[in-house]
Parts: sequence; C-alpha cells; structure tokens
Amino acid sequence: MIRRHFRRPDHSVPELNMASLPDLIFTVLFFFMIVTHMRDVEKQVTYQVPAGTEVEKQQHKSSVVHIYIGKPLDGSSDNYLIQLNNRLATTADIARFIDNERQQMSAEDRERMVVSIEADRDVPMSIVNDVKQALRKSYALNISYAATERR
Amino acid sequence: MLLIFFLVTSSMDAGKGLQRQLPPPPQEQEQVADILDSDIMTVTLNAEGQLTMNGDTVSLQRLQEEVTKFAAVNPHHRVVAIKTDPQTRYNDYFQLQNALVAAYKPLKCPPRVSEIVDESSQKGGQP
Repeated sequence: MIRRHFRRPDHSVPELNMASLPDLIFTVLFFFMIVTHMRDVEKQVTYQVPAGTEVEKQQHKSSVVHIYIGKPLDGSSDNYLIQLNNRLATTADIARFIDNERQQMSAEDRERMVVSIEADRDVPMSIVNDVKQALRKSYALNISYAATERR
Repeated sequence: MLLIFFLVTSSMDAGKGLQRQLPPPPQEQEQVADILDSDIMTVTLNAEGQLTMNGDTVSLQRLQEEVTKFAAVNPHHRVVAIKTDPQTRYNDYFQLQNALVAAYKPLKCPPRVSEIVDESSQKGGQP
C-alpha cells in the first residue's frame, strides 16, 4: 500500500562511546583535589559574622588561624563560648593554642600568621577584648575580624 | 565516589575579614608617649551601641567624616582612642572599626587607634 513507500525510521540509537568517561571524571576529581583544602574543623558553635564595607580577602590559607566565638550548636548552654580547633576552650587556652599552631607552620607562614576572629554579632565585647589581650600576650598581632562584604 | 567526597568535604570560600593590627604587649618599662590632649579623639561605644565623640553623640557616618578631618592634620601623630563597655555588642564594635578603616583610607596611613581596656591597662597606639 502507500505505507510501504515511506522509509521506516531506524529506531536503534547508535551506542555512545563511554571510553572517555573515566578520563573526564578523573580530570574533574584532580581539579577539586588541587583547588580545595579539607575542612579540618568541625564547628561546635554557631555564629553570624558582621558585614562590613572594608573587608579584604585573607591572603594565605595556611597561615590563618581561626578562633570561633558563638553559642554552642547543641544548645547545651546559652553563653558564648570560644572554640579553638575542635574543642571548646577558655581565654587561658589561647596562648598554648597559638604556640601549637605556630610550631606546625612553615617559617614563612609563621611570619605572616593572621588570627581570624570569627565572632557572632551579639558577642559582648568583654569576651572579644579578653581574646585580644591573650593574642597580644602571645605576639599574634595580625588579626582579622571575619566578616562578609556589604555593598 | 571520590569526587562526591571531595565536593562535600571541601570548603571553597576564601575567608574575608577586616585586617587590623594589635599593639605589642605592655613592656616592663613603658615609655609614656607625650600626646597633647588636642591630638586625641575619644570615641566611646556604650552597651546600647551609642557612639559618643569627645562627649557628643554622633552617628557612625558623621564619626567617619570627623575622623578623616581630625586625622588629616597629622595622620601619623593624632590618635583615636576607643572605649567600649563590656556589654557592647561585637557588631557595633565591628562597625566602628570598619568606619575607622574607611576614614583612614583616603589618608593612605594605617589607623592610629588606641583602645582603652577595662583593667585600666591601656593599649598603645599603632605604628
């Protein structure tokens, strides 16, 4: 009949060549391995940093030491606590913490060490001042108030 | 698997912050710097976040303009002294620091700020 005159469309799709897929995935994997650094600190406090107009990027990640100040995540207390590395601490521990961090750094990182204070907006200044005094005593004089950029 | 692992555990964000310098710890024999009263601007930040400059209540913006004017005369000599209350919110203090950095920006000189801390120990000015 008439149908016979039309060519039947070929339904079979040509097989996709998967040989290059592992290469692709490995490229992406290596890219991420190089670009990223591991998150080595599990945050135990919650905080919201303030926003400022004059903020600058922290230059060298390996020379930045973080001090977190916020309320505990598990809600065990309503006070503001200080977190150094993976544990909660007091201002008395800061000197030892800074010394430890210093020793782990390479010589050039040690010279440009910056302490990043990541504090919640509502933290009372008494805590922040105590932290700063402790940092002064350990000669960690370059500090950075962590913040987000505001236009 | 590995790819997803790296995606989850990595943090891409570069930290941002307001860079400041702290003065070195107080020495045994402190040299008392001779600074004229007229070369010191006292800024107080109380627990409610209210700013006072040499006794007058000011807004943050006005303070910034005043500091620029004040420091422009002799940026390496004139000092801004900050006094905060222990109950002052960190955010208010941060905004003040932010304003000071902004105020000193056109002067091409790091802010000379002295902080008066409660234990009646005074933080020296910054070089």
